[in-house]
Amino acid sequence: MMSTVPSELPVTAPIEHRFDPYVDNGGTLLSIAGKDFCVVAADTRLSEGYSIHTRYVPKSVKLSDKTVISMGGCYADCLTLTKRIQQNMEASLVAPMWYRHAHGKTMSTAAIAQMLSIMLYQKRFFPFYSWCILGGLDEEGRGAVYTYDPVGSYEREACRCAGSASSLIQPFLDNQINFKNQASERRELSLDQVLRITKDSFTSATERDIYTGDYLEIFVITSNGVELQKMGLKKD
Amino acid sequence: MEYNGGAVVAMVGKNCVAIACDKRLGVQAMTISTEFKKIFQATPKTYLGLPGLATDVQTLAEKFRFKINMYKLKEEREIEPRTLAHLVSSTLYERRFGPWFTEPVVAGLDKNNNPFICNTDTIGCINFAKDFVVSGTSTNQLYGMCESLWEPDLEPEDLFETISQALMNAVDRDCLAGWGAEVVVITPDKIITRTLKSRMD
Amino acid sequence: METLFGITGKDFVIAAYDTKAVASITMMKIGEDKSRNLNDHSVMLYSGEPGDGVHFAEYIERNVKLNGIRHGLEMSPKAVASFARRELADSLRSRKPYSVNLLIAGYDVKKDTPALYWMDHLASSAEVPFAAHGYGAYYCLSMMDRYHRPDITEEEGIKLLKMCINELRTRMILNMPDFVAKVVTKEGIRVVQL
Repeated sequence: MMSTVPSELPVTAPIEHRFDPYVDNGGTLLSIAGKDFCVVAADTRLSEGYSIHTRYVPKSVKLSDKTVISMGGCYADCLTLTKRIQQNMEASLVAPMWYRHAHGKTMSTAAIAQMLSIMLYQKRFFPFYSWCILGGLDEEGRGAVYTYDPVGSYEREACRCAGSASSLIQPFLDNQINFKNQASERRELSLDQVLRITKDSFTSATERDIYTGDYLEIFVITSNGVELQKMGLKKD
Repeated sequence: MEYNGGAVVAMVGKNCVAIACDKRLGVQAMTISTEFKKIFQATPKTYLGLPGLATDVQTLAEKFRFKINMYKLKEEREIEPRTLAHLVSSTLYERRFGPWFTEPVVAGLDKNNNPFICNTDTIGCINFAKDFVVSGTSTNQLYGMCESLWEPDLEPEDLFETISQALMNAVDRDCLAGWGAEVVVITPDKIITRTLKSRMD
Repeated sequence: METLFGITGKDFVIAAYDTKAVASITMMKIGEDKSRNLNDHSVMLYSGEPGDGVHFAEYIERNVKLNGIRHGLEMSPKAVASFARRELADSLRSRKPYSVNLLIAGYDVKKDTPALYWMDHLASSAEVPFAAHGYGAYYCLSMMDRYHRPDITEEEGIKLLKMCINELRTRMILNMPDFVAKVVTKEGIRVVQL
């Protein structure tokens, strides 16, 4: 028997519900590890499409005297993720994960790195749209850079650039930090050299990437703590 | 552009210009040849770079060789790089609604030995640049490298080093380009052609 | 899926093809000749759209032969490849393009060197030491990368081809019938059953 639709019922077409909770707010971040220091840098432009929402909003946050996190991608997700990390690191009376209270000490860079990977993977099927770079000093006092994809796969590296101008800067870092395609021996770079390369990277990227510019914030992490430097970038 | 892969870059130096290309020919991810050059000599002091869809690279290389020879026969002189740029532009714009899939680069010294470089898009819109031009699949990487390595008034040998480093480090971050490179430096009295070894992955 | 191979050596080129004629999921025939001898020292292998291959290859064959008769000179493999590329490139931007992949294997008698040209259906052409077309390329190019040397002998060449075919027989989902190889040397073109 063929079934038929009763004629008195109204014919309804299925209604499409679109859910698109992500935006790309641009921005570029970079981190370089040295022998006894680490540099984390990011521009401060927040944009969407062809418009700039604001010229100054920090993408990097100091998590402890030894660790700085920098994030790019969807700014809303970055804010939430940063807050959650800080919450998990801090003291409280209830949650077991809240590290300082449970263990009576500040989280090490490696511990934050591992935790961040887990936090990102916990949202594997509704990820935070964020490119994270964690910079700091490890337990031996050496510079450490941890880089992440949005779902938490991570790796410790010597240097990394992420965000909208990553394709412009990363080959330059390969060349200048890792000495790729150079005959000369690999050398340890001084903090001054690393800062110069960082600033050069951003001034170059600002020339060609419309999502990068305005100001540059550089966090320098040494055994003396975290120092913040600011520098102007082109605003066009 | 992404079907066969490849990259071309050109730079201006002090009384000299350089042009360089990678040597890969692939079909998407599969590499077919590592000896596929994308730059061609147009006149004794002018080179033409053609990255893009390999079939159009070859067809246009033949087409431009013909047109440049005809120009020479008619005018009884070599074509100037600036004139060549406009020849390239109008040849591409002829196919406005069914373009050749290539973004040519012209680099050379004019009759007064002044450096000239430019590139165009697939339909022949010319971009005259005073510093450097990039083209192909590695444009982002090349822009980053050139913007930070290039400086004005480089001597031929320094220009060679700069363009080589720019190209090699750029294509190493591009899966579709690399597998060796070729660099040409054009100076008023000689042309230096060098083949570079690079990462083969 | 059709497969074509080619390997150059010290003083020869081997070009091999599988003998399947396929229409959709049906194997229509085993023993199909997918090659045409263009002149005494050049052979063209083709795969792709069934009718197009034969038609295009025979068109090139006849024009190469005509050129030979007109000028009393044999076209070099490079000349043959350039001519075929141009014809294919012109057809690509016509109303109904030929859809064929080619390998042109030849021996340049004047320069005393073997030559192998790889060409796809878009008429991108490259001179290569070894080449493959079709899904077989994904399996065999790596094998050739590993085992090919420029000074390889003919026996070693045949052995390498057999290794490639063996790999296809173990890894490809379709059954692989016989392959036929054409060996081009200074003396001319020979057929070898693989």
